[in-house]
Amino acid sequence: MKSSLVFHKVIVGLLVIYLLIPLLGTFLFSMAGKWDHTILPESYTLKWYIELFQDERFYLALQHTLFLIVVTVGLSVVIMLPTIFIITVYFGKWEKWLQAAAMLPYGIPPIVGAVGLIKVYSDGPIQIAGTPWILVGAYFITILPFMYQGIRNSLRTVNAVQLVDAAELLGATKFQAFRTVVFPNIISGILVSTLLSVALLFSEFAFANLLVGGRFETIQIYLADKLNSSGHLTSAIVITYYSIILLLTGTVLKLTFRKEKAPVFFNKKRSLKFLKKSYRQKNTALEGENS
Amino acid sequence: MSYVTIDQVTKGYNQQVVLENISLTLKKGEFATLLGQSGCGKSTLLRSIAGLEDVDAGSIFIDGKDITHLSPRNREVGMVFQSYALFPNMNVFENIAYGLKMKKAKYIKSRVTKMIELVDLIGKEQSYPHQLSGGQQQRVALARALVIEPKVLLLDEPLSALDAKIRKNLQKELKRIQKELDITTIFVTHDQEEAMTMSDRIFVMNKGKIVQSGSPTEIYTLPANTFVAKFIGNYNVLNMDVFRKLVQRTELDGNEIAIRPEVLQLVSASEDNLDLQANWGIKGLIKDVSMTGNVLRYEVETEASAFLVDDLHHQGKMFEQGAQVHILVPKKECIILAN
Repeated sequence: MKSSLVFHKVIVGLLVIYLLIPLLGTFLFSMAGKWDHTILPESYTLKWYIELFQDERFYLALQHTLFLIVVTVGLSVVIMLPTIFIITVYFGKWEKWLQAAAMLPYGIPPIVGAVGLIKVYSDGPIQIAGTPWILVGAYFITILPFMYQGIRNSLRTVNAVQLVDAAELLGATKFQAFRTVVFPNIISGILVSTLLSVALLFSEFAFANLLVGGRFETIQIYLADKLNSSGHLTSAIVITYYSIILLLTGTVLKLTFRKEKAPVFFNKKRSLKFLKKSYRQKNTALEGENS
Repeated sequence: MSYVTIDQVTKGYNQQVVLENISLTLKKGEFATLLGQSGCGKSTLLRSIAGLEDVDAGSIFIDGKDITHLSPRNREVGMVFQSYALFPNMNVFENIAYGLKMKKAKYIKSRVTKMIELVDLIGKEQSYPHQLSGGQQQRVALARALVIEPKVLLLDEPLSALDAKIRKNLQKELKRIQKELDITTIFVTHDQEEAMTMSDRIFVMNKGKIVQSGSPTEIYTLPANTFVAKFIGNYNVLNMDVFRKLVQRTELDGNEIAIRPEVLQLVSASEDNLDLQANWGIKGLIKDVSMTGNVLRYEVETEASAFLVDDLHHQGKMFEQGAQVHILVPKKECIILAN
């Protein structure tokens, strides 16, 4: 039994190393002065960070990215939550259509999608090509699978249909039932979907570049631009935005779990599992950016 | 006058009939059970009464008021679900108080406290559902349904997720509370023993129809047809031709004959002082003996059919497997089924 425990620890340890090394490497590179022939940097400096934090373009890009994320994710929650709730609870038959729609983003490569979107929205009644609003639309679709799966699974886990039945029999209207009984129980699930979406959108490059590009510079476009000038600086950017995500996630989680006096334990477990996934997502995104 | 009336209720799902012309009436304070196998429509009927399912035709009345097309919240019924459906984000007190809050009732605190006393959950007010055992959760669900003082209490297999001992306990408890509040109750179960213990009246359902209704004793001792006989007890149901051949009598009418296993008596084959005035005697061979504790259950093979025979577990009186026996069938305990 003891040896198997060691085995488990080794596996987990290897996984952690696998996930952390790229991040650590990036971090070191962002702090490195001279680093040519040695395993660790020969000298350390903060000048890349100073340069970064003195660049107004960086703040603007960050602002743009945050704006896009807040609008998109907010819109998604406001629209998708009632939609998924109504379909799961009252129109079970239609669920397969919603599911198919939510899977669409996986079926269409960003390049193809972007070209199509530009064509459709550069003339006609809605001319939003080249503005941030077309990005909001594209991002809404991009995060649809996460929002859909997260919200639907939370509804299933708490057995929302029956909770609504019970609440209605106790005199609640449908809206009251949703507000008092369903919503508080799926909030942690929604939160996980939201965080996952935020992380994903933070590292989105293809749509941003193709649809809007330099006209509305996001953090990824800024990063791509800086990639040509200095690897140290891009590392500093990556580490900075990674820290922002981490800070954001940590704060939101802490706030939510403190507010809920007794978070439903199965929910908590589930969301933790989800979180691990979301971190992994971020890490792979980082690796991609570093190459 | 009847308190609950269900009049020719019919319901189907995609061309499949789930409830077919169901009619029944209940008196105030009655404890009625809908008994049947899964898929017989008993839960659908209960959910129709609650307003969670629409009916295709027919009407439902409670206390003289037609509630067929009212929304669940206006029906004044309370319901306990099989999986309890407690609100995970609320503690015991808040769960129970929920209905009163929604109705903007007065004296919420004292009414909830009284209910907590009634279901014996004092000290658990601040606990959350996941901190409670199955039995305690069920008590909360019951209190939550009862506190709004519904006209009818609907129970959808509320005890089936609990283990045997707690279940027996809660059966008694439920019955006590029901009597104490004198509340008209409709209970759904697939467990005939549970139905027998709890009910004033049982409605046996099969394939969307009520096949027999009556007191537990009536249902048990006088099953109306083969289905009830087989479902309600472990009746031996034999084709009449087979039975005629076994007892070598030709004057018996009917299609089938039903005999309860506990009225049959086994005597050793060597015994020749048999009372053949009141009984029929059938020769047999013990094929299997099983012991359920207080009852010995024999499977006896005769030349035409196998019989189940139940005997109380007496010390020293037990037939071994392979023993030759006579089965004594009391004539007046036989139920002739026409269908």
